[in-house]
Amino acid sequence: MTILSKDLVIIGCKAIDGDEVISGLARLLESEGYVKDTYLKAVLDREKIYPTGLFTMPVNVAMPHTDSTHVNKSAIAIAVLDKPVKFNKMGGGADDSLDVSLVFLLAIKDPKLIMETLMKLMTVFQDKELLENLSLAKTKDEIIHYMSKLGI
Amino acid sequence: MKTQLKVLTVCGSGTVSSNMIASKLRDRLGEYGYDVKTIEVMPGAVSSALTSGDFDFIAYTSPIQGTFDIPTINAVGFLTGFGDDEFIEEVLTALKKLGK
Repeated sequence: MTILSKDLVIIGCKAIDGDEVISGLARLLESEGYVKDTYLKAVLDREKIYPTGLFTMPVNVAMPHTDSTHVNKSAIAIAVLDKPVKFNKMGGGADDSLDVSLVFLLAIKDPKLIMETLMKLMTVFQDKELLENLSLAKTKDEIIHYMSKLGI
Repeated sequence: MKTQLKVLTVCGSGTVSSNMIASKLRDRLGEYGYDVKTIEVMPGAVSSALTSGDFDFIAYTSPIQGTFDIPTINAVGFLTGFGDDEFIEEVLTALKKLGK
């Protein structure tokens, strides 16, 4: 069963900061019933303490997430940014940021699926060609196509 | 006889990233002849974990507060794969200093 859906993709996202990207994606997840109304705040709060910006090539990514108690059913919402926005670096300090072009908002219900999903995402993040294709995608179908090739 | 290592791996949840780091560490350091045991914790649990065992170093993907007697090494690049070799090199250098 795939946890991807065209309804959970934003192409040409014009958000001006990370919180706005997360809010836009979380709204999609919430309106489709994937997450509870506590989810957005929980993700934003967690991102402040444990940021998820990652240095990858040729564009940087972020993978905000939170505890599975805020999730109803598993999904990944994806935003392709028009212009990169700042996310703080995972493992870094408060002013340690990087410019992120792709955001993968994770909502995972089953604890076993968390590890599996993260491992698959890391495979995505190490694939330069794939990240480039995703960042240049013009349609939601393209995003689903590239991601589903990895069995996500 | 393989050299025994005990590593504390730290991430925000104390489960997911720290587990991935742990399993990669066992593999990669295994290639260098180390037998790696790991404990996974969240940042708030680092101090109490340290009192309970002789750890050789800490590998973290979430910032940890405080000063520690053992090396602390940022493992984010090791998690993503962008910086695998640098991370392993840093670990090997630290282990050399420890005489391991």
